[in-house]
Amino acid sequence: MKQLLTFSLFICMFSGAMSQQNCYWFKHNGDMKRYEACLATEKAAGHYQFTKEFQQAFDNAIKIDPTWGYPYRAKSVSYLKSGDFINWKKLMDKAVEYDTLSYLPYRAGCRFQFFRDYKGAIEDLLLLKKVTNNEMGYTPNGQYHLDIVLALCYKATGRSEEAIEVILERFKDDSYDIGIFDYIHLGVLYLEKGNYNNAIELFKKQEKFNDLAENRFYKALAYKALRQKENCLQNLKAAKELYQNNLKIHDPYQEPMDKIYLSTIERELGEK
Amino acid sequence: MKSIELIYSMKTNLILLFCISILFSCNVEKEKQQEYLRMVGDIEFDPKLDDPEFKLCYNDSAVFQYFSFSSLETFVGEKEAIDDYFKEKYKPVDINESGWIRIRFIVNCKGETGRFRMIESDEDYKERPFNKKISSQLMALTKSLEGWQGFENKEHPLDYYQYLVFKISNGAIEQILP
Repeated sequence: MKQLLTFSLFICMFSGAMSQQNCYWFKHNGDMKRYEACLATEKAAGHYQFTKEFQQAFDNAIKIDPTWGYPYRAKSVSYLKSGDFINWKKLMDKAVEYDTLSYLPYRAGCRFQFFRDYKGAIEDLLLLKKVTNNEMGYTPNGQYHLDIVLALCYKATGRSEEAIEVILERFKDDSYDIGIFDYIHLGVLYLEKGNYNNAIELFKKQEKFNDLAENRFYKALAYKALRQKENCLQNLKAAKELYQNNLKIHDPYQEPMDKIYLSTIERELGEK
Repeated sequence: MKSIELIYSMKTNLILLFCISILFSCNVEKEKQQEYLRMVGDIEFDPKLDDPEFKLCYNDSAVFQYFSFSSLETFVGEKEAIDDYFKEKYKPVDINESGWIRIRFIVNCKGETGRFRMIESDEDYKERPFNKKISSQLMALTKSLEGWQGFENKEHPLDYYQYLVFKISNGAIEQILP
């Protein structure tokens, strides 16, 4: 429950980051140019981020104050969601140029989640680690702490040992709330290394915390490697049931790492 | 005589300069004014590019985005089937070209696809074409890919925009997104 609340809180934080700005704050600080630009963004209210009206409102804000990161970031979202990496990156580079601390976490997270740009995400994340004194924050959808993203990028570029180190280091922080898929990712890293008992431990932790088809499936693979047929079969069956009940790794925009499919389970069960 | 020629030449240069500056300012103005369709990523019918047989079930002003329909889970065999299809059919090209290719298209309510468009970039997200052996092959395979689901709601049938992004590494497919 605590984790669910934390996750919801991050979602709210993310929505907040995209919500309307308090224009009077700029006026209060005597920044009239930004105040005018901020008023221009208010014309986007009520328009879906993909629409012409939304984009034009933020274009006008950029014309008034081209050094404000927020309008570039706001415009970039629809390009991201439509897979237009060229325009998305141009806009996000501007946003990061003018407000690095606010928008570098977002650019790093999206490079990983939407474009599997591991090299680019690692560059962003290592810079972010430096400027935030190792407190990088979370991905835009709140699914991952950015240390977990860094670890997954290391894994994808063949640096699994470093990936494990980064995750374990994050887990050491008592104030850290475990992410909804964290144990699965660390478990899979151990599984791929052949460290089956460690992997099973983590999948069991995930089971207690947020039981999904993935942790059962990978646990079955670990038992299979240990030649524990009965445990393997039992977990494969559980994985299939969870999957069919929609209890699985899911993201509406892209396919997360270590996600499995129904046919993957069925093949392992010998049903395909 | 020479001074008259000089004045004449200066005058001609000034006129030329004036014309060039007008032309240049027009171009700058054109660049500044970004034109939008109804939505970012919309694809209008182009008779030179598009199959006239492909029809939307409803209309252009009501084409949804793919994520309104729960991602690639709705594809027959899920995303794994898409990965398997390209793994089997795509022939890697031995060339030092890496980056991303996006193919965006519409899926109509019958699960048919049309209006395919492509963008291409290098690893730094800079727009540039890939070797045709890569891009044309991916376009042809995407056009032949079957398994998209059609949808309808209570009021009318639904059409939606879908895309596939191919992360290319030295002419081979490294990853398919979303």
